[in-house]
Amino acid sequence: MKKITKQLLESAGGKAGDSKKDWIKVGMSTCGIAAGAQKVYDILTQEIKRRGLDIEVKKTGCLGACYVEPLVEVCLKGVPRVVYGNVDEKTAMGIIDKHICSKRIMNDHVILR
Amino acid sequence: MISATINGQIVNVAKGTTILNAAKKININIPTLCKHLDLDATAACGICIVKIKGTKKMLRSCCTPLEKGMEIITHDNQLQEIRRTIIELILSNHPNDCLECGRNNNCELQKLAADFGIREQPFKRFLRQIPKDDSTKTIVIDPQKCILCGRCVQVCQEMQNVWALSFLERGLETRISPAGDINLADSPCVRCGQCSAHCPTGAITEYDQTKRVWQALYDTDKYCVVQIAPAVRVAIGEAFGFPDGTNLTGKLYAALRKLGFKAIFDTSFGADVTIMEEASEFTQRFVNKKGKLPMITTCCPSWVDFMEKFYPDMIEHFSSVKSPHEIVGVLSKTYYAKINKLDPKKVTMISIMPCTSKKYEITRSQEMFASGVQDIDVVLTTRELARMIKQAGIDFANLSEEEPDHILGDYTGAGVIFGATGGVMEAALRTAHYFITGKNVNKLEFENVRGLKGIKETEIEIKGIKIRIAVAHGLGNVELVLKKIQAALKAGKEPPYHFVEVMACLGGCVGGGGQPYGVTDQLRLARARGLYTEDDKKELYLSHDNPYVKKLYKDFLKEPLGKVSHELLHTHYKPRPLYRK
Amino acid sequence: MYKKTVFIKDTNFQGLGQTKELYNKFLEALRKKNLQDKIQIVRVADMGVYSKGFVVRIPDEGILYCNVKIEDLKNIVSKTLVNGQIIKGLQCDRVEKQLRIVLRNCGVIDPESILDYVDCDGYQGLKKVLLDLDPLGVINQIKLSGLRGRGGGGFPTWMKWNFAQKTQADEKYIICNADEGDPGAYMDRSVLEGDPHSVIEGMIIGGYAIGARKGYFYIRAEYPLAIERIQNAINQARDYGLLGQNILGTDFNFDLEIRLGAGAFVCGEETALIASIEGKRGTPSPRPPYPSVKGLWGKPTVINNVETLANIPYILLKGPKFFAKIGTKDSKGTKVFSLTGKVKNSGLIEVPMGITLKDIVYDIGGGLIDNKQLKAIQTGGPSGGVIPAKYIDTPVDYDNLSKLGSIMGSGGMIVIDQTDCVVDIAKFYLKFCVDESCGKCAPCRIGGSQMLDILINITEGRGKLEDIDKLKRISTAMQKASLCGLGQTAPNPVISTLTYFFDEYKEHIENKKCPAHKCQELLDYKVIEEKCKRCGGCVRVCPTGAISGNREDGYKIDLVKCIKCGKCFEVCRFAAISKE
Repeated sequence: MKKITKQLLESAGGKAGDSKKDWIKVGMSTCGIAAGAQKVYDILTQEIKRRGLDIEVKKTGCLGACYVEPLVEVCLKGVPRVVYGNVDEKTAMGIIDKHICSKRIMNDHVILR
Repeated sequence: MISATINGQIVNVAKGTTILNAAKKININIPTLCKHLDLDATAACGICIVKIKGTKKMLRSCCTPLEKGMEIITHDNQLQEIRRTIIELILSNHPNDCLECGRNNNCELQKLAADFGIREQPFKRFLRQIPKDDSTKTIVIDPQKCILCGRCVQVCQEMQNVWALSFLERGLETRISPAGDINLADSPCVRCGQCSAHCPTGAITEYDQTKRVWQALYDTDKYCVVQIAPAVRVAIGEAFGFPDGTNLTGKLYAALRKLGFKAIFDTSFGADVTIMEEASEFTQRFVNKKGKLPMITTCCPSWVDFMEKFYPDMIEHFSSVKSPHEIVGVLSKTYYAKINKLDPKKVTMISIMPCTSKKYEITRSQEMFASGVQDIDVVLTTRELARMIKQAGIDFANLSEEEPDHILGDYTGAGVIFGATGGVMEAALRTAHYFITGKNVNKLEFENVRGLKGIKETEIEIKGIKIRIAVAHGLGNVELVLKKIQAALKAGKEPPYHFVEVMACLGGCVGGGGQPYGVTDQLRLARARGLYTEDDKKELYLSHDNPYVKKLYKDFLKEPLGKVSHELLHTHYKPRPLYRK
Repeated sequence: MYKKTVFIKDTNFQGLGQTKELYNKFLEALRKKNLQDKIQIVRVADMGVYSKGFVVRIPDEGILYCNVKIEDLKNIVSKTLVNGQIIKGLQCDRVEKQLRIVLRNCGVIDPESILDYVDCDGYQGLKKVLLDLDPLGVINQIKLSGLRGRGGGGFPTWMKWNFAQKTQADEKYIICNADEGDPGAYMDRSVLEGDPHSVIEGMIIGGYAIGARKGYFYIRAEYPLAIERIQNAINQARDYGLLGQNILGTDFNFDLEIRLGAGAFVCGEETALIASIEGKRGTPSPRPPYPSVKGLWGKPTVINNVETLANIPYILLKGPKFFAKIGTKDSKGTKVFSLTGKVKNSGLIEVPMGITLKDIVYDIGGGLIDNKQLKAIQTGGPSGGVIPAKYIDTPVDYDNLSKLGSIMGSGGMIVIDQTDCVVDIAKFYLKFCVDESCGKCAPCRIGGSQMLDILINITEGRGKLEDIDKLKRISTAMQKASLCGLGQTAPNPVISTLTYFFDEYKEHIENKKCPAHKCQELLDYKVIEEKCKRCGGCVRVCPTGAISGNREDGYKIDLVKCIKCGKCFEVCRFAAISKE
């Protein structure tokens, strides 16, 4: 129950998702969930845990490209940060195998906006 | 003061005055439909729209306050066209069967359609397929005719605080019904009929029982007698073109005789008897400390029903005396029948009342059969009587005055003022004063209980003791009074009042649910004035001075609160559920 | 590990085969220079650029090449990838048309974490307000920004706050109107789900400005995730001392509560919303008195839309001038639109006011599906109108849209092509308003149903020319005499489509035909002889025996008997039945 004081606000801010750790963000607003994002989130979380990978999987809101939900954004050191669209279970596994483990961006899914 | 122009004319009104009222001040009539003088605007129909000069915007004049410098236009081509379209739309959702409707010739929608010269139906007609609800046998709701003005809901919820009616569903499916879509009889409805009194169309009307009365009158086997309530005599004139509040007692007696009634009685006589019993009762409670205080009057059956449903824990405060017409009813089938050697089973007693709930009262409990048969057979409202008089071809306006059958028809000034709010209290106090002090009181001492203020509180001094009085009318005003009493009693303190009069309808019975349509405060005051004027003119103004009342006690009842009185003239009350089933 | 990444895309959507060809040729060119392990080529699904042939993007250098041919690949590899030189002839640029202010954190932060929000400048606006400004100062900042209500009304936000601030009362309230009811609109939902704290912060600032100690979220019950996330955010804000007593150590107390809607579009109207929170039937009341003077429980109440509130913290943080620089003269800032319909990239977009419809539909939306022709754009939901394709260069702002007979509304934007029937669309929106009408006032309750009845007749072949006059007459009555915005704006889609597409109405009425082939009752079902395999499958399913014939002579549909149920069309495996 830490209080957010003026002092804390003074020192906070400006970090805008600037995490030193590798991360994956899954779009989990209703648009994403309706397209199947919950399954994708679960698979990614389970698989990463199973393989003992040091990556944070986070929920996030609507990225705007609702026509290609589920959306997954991957930020891995040494690989350009990309957003994958139309991510189903197979693609989710592909993200882990190809992007995270082999450091190769998957074809035909990246959304650049 | 606010200064603005309407149709180019300057008008000055107090701040907060609606555009509608401001226009009225300079004799401009903006048409309305859902607005009623008694009630806050619901702003439902949209017919009262006006324009601000030079803008496209239109406002509802019934609820928008006039603002400084406004330039209002109330009538122009566009406004007329829009109003006409709205009326045609409402009519497309209405049966338009005026010739078979209870409001034929007396309907606000009909008048509006006539004034606007509606000659065609450009839109597809469609009606709600919902059956009528006459479960209460006092009020009939016909959802097909409802234009959803919302007046009845406002009346039932805010004015009367009963909450029996509400809006159900939405859009085109919207309709008025008790919550849960149950029958009105199974709801908290106390049958006060104020909904029917405020309804602009034939959607809510009284349960018409004139057919039964016609049958009884033409049945040679039956001996029909009739009584009229105080409030009827000052309102019947409105159906025949008389000025508001004209007292037409004599003509009424004549008309009733012409209709074929064998004996004409007057409820005001019953009121005098009520006072004898009730003043005695009050004296018992107040002087002899036998019984609960405050004592609360019970001549209003809607009020009785309301108390039994909403405040059953205060039943012991009720006076056990029946209402005046029930008293005349039971006496007609015992006292009168005995004297005239009539078989009570053949005596048919019709009661003409300003009230719809009296239709319910006559079978309220077994005690309404105290004479051995049903004491009162049919109750007709003032509106029904007017229709019967017209049907019978009686030229009401030109009738000569006649007398009632004095034995149950002669009354004092105290009896006739029962029809106005504060009247019961005043009459009771006049006689209570005599019972307590042995002296008669100057009748002007009780002016404080008269008038249209919702709750009237005053103090009377009798024999050096202060008696605290409250008079409430309109069920919405009762809550405050009762809560005050409850709070004091709970805290173990002295009650704030000793004697309370309650009338369910605003203005008292003169504003009853069965009176001619179009009630306003102005009308209530005029009708009450008609009663108080009669009281002023009458030589006898104290119930205990009524010679026929004295005769009644001497020959029949023996004494107030005696054995015979208790058998015939008193009743009991019981808690009733708000929602049956 | 790759040193560089190159993205490629066929922005004319000619099929994966063509793209794979270029992809393989690119890999070949790389192999020739032995760079295949250093440089990764990635086929993307969406480049954000459209109708510019093959596009190659090198993100590290910020280079974008358009209309790339296979011949160019060699040069790209040797000049650009190896030597870092830009090939001028291929270069094009892509201007980011979207500007995410309201959606700044959506897709960036975890909406269930208050610390994520704080990391992204969260509650900094509140800090500035509570420590540096007084209520009038806050209102002044909002005034300078030019923010107008984003719920559809477009009323200057500072004015609403000012009225409430000036009215003396012992209690005041601020309400967030999250009863987003327009069909197809989900901007507010995404903000509530994706960045709940931004709205909370906006409300706390608003409460401070008007002098309220209590605020309410009125969220429609059909948004369970939004309710969950907001409740979670409120709880967190309370735990962290941003709601409750002595916020940030000042003497300002403020708390929030959620109230749920219950399936009534009309409760998005201010007075009906207030009635709903008070536990009454959700119907509008006449105004004046306005809610800012006499609202919830008779007290001064400000009701703001979710999007409006989400703008507030940012305006206070960055300063109003920053906001006022964006947009047009009378419409400042950005607007979130839900771009849907026959557009390729449907979704939520946030753009500065003043962007043209063309840019929205083609640059952001990627053009129409199947490259069909644009017919019109519907804006403003059931209260709005259609804007025909000829006005596609209109800059989008409050005034321009209303001049064209539509409204900005809450941000619904639906792209319509030649296969959409405008009469059908008007009928759809009108049906929505009729379903959602509260029933209180006669013009909307009865007028709406009558108009719908007429439109149904028109789309089913029973229209008469005099119906058009009736539609116009009822529309005027509804627009002028309805009690609230629902009834007042319900005729807008009808009036707008009548104005711009009267010919389509005429076609429906006079010739009983639907030019877009959409209205079922006006379609003629025919057997396409060339495709018909004479299997007789349609005959078996026809309920009225309208199809007759045999294997030798073929089959025919009797248009008189045909009741247009569409069963034959559904059943035919050879697409040999046409409906036109």
